[in-house]
Formats: sequence, C-alpha cells, structure tokens
Amino acid sequence: MPSPLDRVRSALMDEGLQEALLRAATNNQVKVESLLRERPELAEAARRARRAKDEAIGRLEELIDEAMRSLRAINAEPHYAETPEEAREAVARIVGSGKLVVMSKSMAAEEAGIREYLEELGNEVWETDLGQLLVQLEGGRPMHTIAPAVHMTRERALRLVNEKLGANLPEDAGIEEIAGAARRFLREKIVKADVGISGANALAADTGAIVLVENEGNIRLVTTASPIHIAVVPVDKIVPTLQDALTVAIAQAGYAGLYPPTYINVIAGPSSTADIEQVRVWGAQGPKELHVVLLDNGRLRARETPLRDQLRCIRCGRCQFECPVWVHTANNWGGPVYGGPMGLNWTAITWSMEEASKLAFLCLGCGRCDEACPVEIPLSRLIRWLKTQAHRPGRS
Amino acid sequence: MLDPKLVSDLVARYMRDTGLPVPAPKEALYRWAEPLRLPREGPRYLYTGGLYQLMPYIQAMVKYLEKMEEGRAGRLALGLAGRLAGLGGLAKAVARPDKGLVAYSESVLRGIAGHLRRAGVEYAYLYEDDLYSGVILHDLGLDEDFTRHANMVYRRLRERGVESVITVDPHTTHMLRSVYPKYVDGYSLEVKTYIELLDEAGYQAKSGGEAVIHDPCLYARFEGVVEQPRRLLSRSGVEAKEPRRSRRMTYCCGGPIEGLAPSLSKRIARIRMDELRRVSSRIVVMCPICYANLSSVAPEGVEVVDLALVLGEPGA
Repeated sequence: MPSPLDRVRSALMDEGLQEALLRAATNNQVKVESLLRERPELAEAARRARRAKDEAIGRLEELIDEAMRSLRAINAEPHYAETPEEAREAVARIVGSGKLVVMSKSMAAEEAGIREYLEELGNEVWETDLGQLLVQLEGGRPMHTIAPAVHMTRERALRLVNEKLGANLPEDAGIEEIAGAARRFLREKIVKADVGISGANALAADTGAIVLVENEGNIRLVTTASPIHIAVVPVDKIVPTLQDALTVAIAQAGYAGLYPPTYINVIAGPSSTADIEQVRVWGAQGPKELHVVLLDNGRLRARETPLRDQLRCIRCGRCQFECPVWVHTANNWGGPVYGGPMGLNWTAITWSMEEASKLAFLCLGCGRCDEACPVEIPLSRLIRWLKTQAHRPGRS
Repeated sequence: MLDPKLVSDLVARYMRDTGLPVPAPKEALYRWAEPLRLPREGPRYLYTGGLYQLMPYIQAMVKYLEKMEEGRAGRLALGLAGRLAGLGGLAKAVARPDKGLVAYSESVLRGIAGHLRRAGVEYAYLYEDDLYSGVILHDLGLDEDFTRHANMVYRRLRERGVESVITVDPHTTHMLRSVYPKYVDGYSLEVKTYIELLDEAGYQAKSGGEAVIHDPCLYARFEGVVEQPRRLLSRSGVEAKEPRRSRRMTYCCGGPIEGLAPSLSKRIARIRMDELRRVSSRIVVMCPICYANLSSVAPEGVEVVDLALVLGEPGA
C-alpha cells in the first residue's frame, strides 16, 4: 500500500484529477455561497445543530444508553461496537454468507471495512449511490464525503460501467445515460437483496429515529426494499432529540449545497401493520428487522483531547471543497477513509494519530476551513495541534 | 515534498543557536531603519518581527531545499548537514539572498515608517530589540521551542519598557495579538497594525489608479483587518477591486507550505494569481510571504505590490 504522502504526490501528477477537482470545487463554492445568501435560515439551522451536537458530546455515554433503550422500544435491535472489527462482526452475524447485500453510501461502513468483509464471507455486495458504485467498480476509495467520485470525469465513469457492468454504452454517452445504466443494473439487485445497509446523518436518542438525507433515492430503496435493514452509525451522530436530528440534516444539506434535499428519510423501527384485527405485526412492505450498529472507534476517547471539537462535524464536506490544498489532492490527502481538513482530524480519531500528524504538515493554516464550517469547528487549530503530536518523543 | 521532521529539526536548531529561523546576519533585521534615525524611545514601538527582512533569506533557503529535494544524494547530504556536521556549509549556501528582494522589503518598511510619521503617529523603533517573533516554530507545531522563544521576546520588549507595539505583517500581528497570550504568563501588550493606526488617523496618501486586493488569510479571518486597507486605498485615490474570493473568504497564496511542498505551493499560488489578474493587473498584498509567492508566478505585465508602496513612495 502506498504511503499517505505518496498518494498526495501521485494526485499532484494526475492532470485529469486536478481538472475534475477544480471544476467541482468552484461549482460547489459558488452554489453554497449563493444558497447561504438567499436562505439565512440555513445559518440558523447550523447554529441550532451546533448547540445540539455540543450537548450530545457533553453527555455522550448517557445518550448512547438512551438511544439503545429507545431503539429497543421501537422494536429495533441495537448493537454496540467499540472497534471496527466488532462492527464488522456484528454486521457479519446478521448477514451470514451467500446473501445479496445492497448498501447506500456510508463513511462509517467504509471505516469498518464492511463491504470488503462481507464479500470475503461469500456475499454479493453492491453500492447503490452512483458515485460510490463507481468507486467500488474502480477498486478505489471515496474522494469526498458527499461526492465520492468527485475525482472522476464522464469518460472514466463511462469506461467503468461499460467494462464492469457490461453496459454497452456508446463512446459519446452522456452522464444521464451512465446514470441510467447504473440504475438498470442496481434496480434488480435492490429488489432481490436480502439485506440493505445504510449509514445515518443523525440518530435521535429520545426516539431511536434515524435521519438520512439524500437526493438519489437509493437510500429510500435500500432501507425499505429488503427484509433486513442494518444502519451503521458512529456514536458522534447521536443527538438528543428527533428535532435535533432533523436540524442536523437540514444544515448538512444546505452547507453541502444540496438544498432543499430531495429526500429526508426518518426511520423509527422496522415496518409494521395493524390492519388485521388491530394486531400489530412486524414486516409489512418495509423491513421486518432493523439493526443499528453503534460504532465508537476512538470517538469517546477523543473527547479528552482537543479533537473533541471535531465530534461536532455534520459531514457536509464544505471544508474540503473550500480548502486550497484539498482542491489539488482530494481525499488522497488523508488516511484510508477520511481526507482534507475535517478528514485529517477524523483520521487521527479513528485510525492513526501518527499518520494524521505527518499529513498535517501540508496544511497552510490559512483558516478557510474554519470559516466554511457550519458548526464552527476550529479545524486549522486542531490540525496545528496534530503537528505538535508529530514532535512528541517516540514519533519518528 | 520534504520530510517535515527534517525541516523542523533544521529550523529549531537555527532558532536555538541564533534566534532566527534561517542563516542571516542579525543586523539584517534593523538595517532598513539606519538611514531614518528613528527615535529609540516613545509611547509606541514599531515591532516588525523581522518577517519582511527575513523573507529574502527564507527564499534562498527554500531554493536550496528544493534542489536537495530533487535527488536522493541531496536528501542524504541535507540530512547530514542538519543532523551532524555543523550548519556552516548550508549557511554559506543560503546566506546570499536576492538583492532585489532585500531592497523591496526594506523599501516597504521605510514606506510604512514614512506613512506613520506623516499620519502623526508618534512612535519609536526597537533596533537591536526588534527580534523575530518565532512564528515558524508555532506553524511547525514546535510548541516547546515556541514557548521558550515567545517568552524571551516578551521579556526583552518589557525590559525595554514597551507596552504598545505597531506591527507590519499579518503573521507577526497574529502571533503578538492572539497567540502569545496563550503561551506567555501575564502577557499584556497593546498590538495594532500600522494599517489600523493609519485608518484610525484618517490617513490619506497621494496615489491613484486601480488595484485588486489580496486579503492575507490571518488579517481577514483572525485579526479583523478587512475594511481598514480598503478605506485607506479609497481615501488615497486608489480604486480597490475585489476578486471572487475576498475578505473573510480570501484564498491563500500557498506560501506557508513553500518550504515543505514547493510544487503544491506553486500550484496554489497560480490558482490565486489567475483569479486576481482577471480583475486587475495590479495586485495589492499586505504580507511578505504573499508577495514572494504571488510574484514568483506573476506573468509579464502583472505587478504585485505591497500596500505600503501602493499608498505612495516614502516622501511622496
């Protein structure tokens, strides 16, 4: 595996990547800026999201317990995983082997390596978010939090669906046709899938409700079409109430530049019906089982360090699009999952302080990410702190 | 890309030995003021922190490191220079700063001194007590060395009876106003940039034409110096134009990582240069790092100039 700094080097040599990133970042910057100007309510939502997240971080253990109780009360099954390995095992126990599994994009699932693990166990697993599917087909990793295939041009995407999905599209096929080919391929998988796996934008401790924001419609399908739905939720996504969870979703969509979001999903338990004799049974048109895997992976411990502030992150990805360094590297500047300003801190929390502290030296300290962050995470200050960690005795 | 540990070790050693981040003669910091014969005592002290003066030496060092970066043999030699054999050889190689850059930096500082005098701001100069602020130690996360250095600088200033300083660049301003207080017990200094003081005094220079403003990151996002330079320019008859990314959302010149990742740094500078020159062929900067990095990628016909010079040559 190439070292993180080697990945940065090769990203700088990749002219196609440079062009794709510059276009995407400029478009996103202009879009978000005008959205925020036209809709002051988004800044208000961000302020409320910040308060809710701060409260949640302050009493996280308590809220984890409350969320697990609430989940049981709505007939969902909570699982608690301290490490990525435990999360993988929890999911593997539910799925088993020889199954067809569909996933909607989840960075927590990436973090736990769930797709690869399920494949190793003999399952057929497909990503259903178009960008994430392209990343899966190329054998790569997501290059942005909400736009995983941000590094790809139309030509590269076309080649992938033709070669890997046998789409047979002509050379001049447009983006719509590529999306159409993916849709045709995935629709059949989604309908037949045994298990659907999603992430979450937020989980409400008071009700156990999961909130998911999207535009593609794949999350709706993945979380309802299969008899079993598994949500992988990092514990920093827990907020006190369902109102808070919706606020987080609105703020995330706004600062990602996708507002109004096409869909906001609220999932509070498996599907049920009481249409016959008013007796409630589980498993109607939606799943019969809902499992929620709560993943810690360093988050509780991070509260004792300056990285505590990073736990407020709502994953809008704006700091990435606004960062002058990220615009040339994408998530190649980062660890195996997360990259860019917020990604260096997440890498330190969930993977390796040592690697994150080395990568931190590419930060300009310009503070554009601080300005961009809807929940006022002092990102550049935290990244500078990562640098101080590189000089601690024992680090070479 | 250079090994951050190696660069950190080099810088830390120079700082411990000489109080400067790169090999440079001590008088390089106050030579600019010699012809001006500024008073040595006053209600406020001009504290440059040396960034303008050191910029030519830093540039020379970066060029040397870039050459080293190219080959494995070079990297080994560099490692040896830094770790074992004294720093003498390296010092000789980089102690020849670009004369044009030295003259530029000194003319900016003299310009600032002149503007302050004409605006009626009473001040003295620190001369040999105008020490480097240690900003690079902070930027590299070398907190122990930075704490030691910041306390030393503060002690020297207080021993000189300084209670109020005038700063001239965003990095030094940020250090003294927002960072030192976290590292120095009982810290108490009033810190104002010359830009703020000129603006408060309603200063009006004789100038003209148009220019696009490149806000330095630290002034705009951390120190609230945003509208002051615009007011100064407009009062002085300069039409100040805005690039797409300006004020609090200004875009970095790439300078801060020049020593570690020169090629990435240049790419960032080019992106910013393209954005600025579309608005005007005259670009106003307020920081020596922005000047060095942007002017290194400026195409012919595009002029990068410090605010102090846009406001008019000293004596104008």
